[in-house]
Amino acid sequence: MRKLTSKSSLLTYIVIIIIAFFYSRDSLVTTSVAGSALLFGLPLAMAAMVGILSERTGVVNIGIEGTLLFSAFLGFFIGALSKNLIFGILGALIGGMMMTLLLALLAVNWKMDQIIAGTIINILAAGLTSFFYKQGYALPSILPRWEVPFLSKIPFIGPVFFTHGPLTYIGLILIIALWVGLFHTVWGLRSRAVGEHPSSADSAGVSVVRLRYINLAIAGAFGGLTGAYLTLELVGSFDRGFSAGKGFTALALMIFGRWNPIGALGAAIFFGTAQAVANQLMITGVVNIPQPFINMLPYILTIVVLAISAGKVRPPAAAGAPYEKEKS
Amino acid sequence: MIKRITALAAAVALATLGFVAPSQAATEKDCAKKAVWCVGLVTDIGKVDDKSFNQSAWEGAKKAAKQLNGVSKYVETQDPKDYATNIALFADKKYDIIVTVGFLMADATAEAAVKYPNVKFIGVDQFYGGDAQNYTGLGFPEDKAGFIVGYLGGYLTKSGKTAAIAGGPDSIPPVRKFIEGFREGVAYAAKERGRSFPAASTVYYTGANAFQDPAWGASTAAQYLTQGYDVIFSAGGKTGNGGLARVAQQKGAYCIGVDTDQWDTVPEARNCLVTSAMKLIPQGVIKLVKDAKADKFPGGYYLGKVGAAPYHDFSSKIKKSVQKKVAKVTKRVIKGTIPTNVAP
Repeated sequence: MRKLTSKSSLLTYIVIIIIAFFYSRDSLVTTSVAGSALLFGLPLAMAAMVGILSERTGVVNIGIEGTLLFSAFLGFFIGALSKNLIFGILGALIGGMMMTLLLALLAVNWKMDQIIAGTIINILAAGLTSFFYKQGYALPSILPRWEVPFLSKIPFIGPVFFTHGPLTYIGLILIIALWVGLFHTVWGLRSRAVGEHPSSADSAGVSVVRLRYINLAIAGAFGGLTGAYLTLELVGSFDRGFSAGKGFTALALMIFGRWNPIGALGAAIFFGTAQAVANQLMITGVVNIPQPFINMLPYILTIVVLAISAGKVRPPAAAGAPYEKEKS
Repeated sequence: MIKRITALAAAVALATLGFVAPSQAATEKDCAKKAVWCVGLVTDIGKVDDKSFNQSAWEGAKKAAKQLNGVSKYVETQDPKDYATNIALFADKKYDIIVTVGFLMADATAEAAVKYPNVKFIGVDQFYGGDAQNYTGLGFPEDKAGFIVGYLGGYLTKSGKTAAIAGGPDSIPPVRKFIEGFREGVAYAAKERGRSFPAASTVYYTGANAFQDPAWGASTAAQYLTQGYDVIFSAGGKTGNGGLARVAQQKGAYCIGVDTDQWDTVPEARNCLVTSAMKLIPQGVIKLVKDAKADKFPGGYYLGKVGAAPYHDFSSKIKKSVQKKVAKVTKRVIKGTIPTNVAP
């Protein structure tokens, strides 16, 4: 544990030095790139929480993509039809929870293969959102950006972190809250026990099925939050196939972050930074590298970092296995 | 494990089959009859309601079939491996005309043209140089449309920073020609104004979801906006639409749409949308379908028309002198007296 802390503090210093270096050379571009890193990374981080919470309680969830898609769809259309963004957010949350609770029904109650159950979610969401999609609807507005007083005036940190819409702040806070919840509360301990060794948890008096349902509902709310963020705050529109593979990227970032909310947030920000830097290389146009190679950057960097840091990655033991109560 | 893989494969296969639109009055079963004209449309990995490119091709196919009292249907390709399968879906049902949309389908269409000599193929954005008489590539001088909107952008920008977001890679010629035309247009306007703007900045999307990632478009637009860019040409299916929607949230920034008049298709961009670089795809498709019916199908390469969309609400906000200049340049670019200097 001690070794880990020193390693991560070393990493923090390196990041600060790199940012300071670029900031001294071009403050406008550095701030802009960091801001974009958050824009690219945050939805992936929030989506990764869906996977973390599901798998930590022992349900493999490859249906994140479908969860995002369906919640964004519901959020957009409820927001557009009711002309009320609050209803839109609520719609997205309900949409996300509908998808993960369906997964719970398939995987926990009916003990279906969880990979297939997740695939069903993805196909179902793609089908429903395609079939019911209608062009020509628009939101009354998008979620307003709020510059936090005082904090947004801090150089670099202000414009990067404190000039966003409400869901960015809520998302960041909830990711940290999830980390605290998973590792420092009774609920978190029970959840992880159910994910690692359900029969022990059961014999200790924890209802495995009930906890899996509760946690999948919360995971769905995270998915709904992501969908709401994408459609109501970031883009302001919806299209078929809107999530564009973000659910699958989030799945990879969950593993990259070792099923740890803060780890996944870091991984997502790292990925987002690589994406923003790749963009900036093209925007500035100083280096003449073919675009496909520049756009490979986020993926290559991720593979390199994974290769270096891998070795100790281990999923929760009971993830993927439906729980059968032992009969005596 | 084997069971799991086969189940997964079956699920994926189901998903890639795509979605077939509901039928209209005359049904597909009549396609074998000579009197009934059937028009089938196959998209590449884009979607038929992308509010730009595929959508306008489908509109053209639909209208053409309606005018001939025929049948029109579409299939969306989910995976490039299925191009031939999706074309065969229509050819086997004895469709008379198959429209394939997108540069990426050129090879598959050329092969199909040989395999089904009785079917006429219209390849939108495809440059066909072969000699099969039943295949016409419908291309457009996108560089001219890009040049015109770039010229307007060069007059609208206050900061002198202009940008183009491409929803697809520059290995797709129509995408590249739009963008490079835009750059040339901006440079032309800057020269005319006696200003020395930096060349328009460009970002190309080359990930796995080309034309389909609105969030990427929006985030990239945000990156431009925070750096003071105030005219953004966001071109490329849904990815481009995401960029447009994001620019609309910024006061004082202008955005330019692509392919069709996006004032109608992307209402959320109306705060910033001054014009769109249009390809008159529906008109081109309708013309070729009618030619086919009249037994005058040209074969080879057919060049369609381009233009800039009307200003709509911005007509009162853009200076009349600028509008006059743009109108003049538009004419000269279309005619070819002002060369765009973009490689074909």
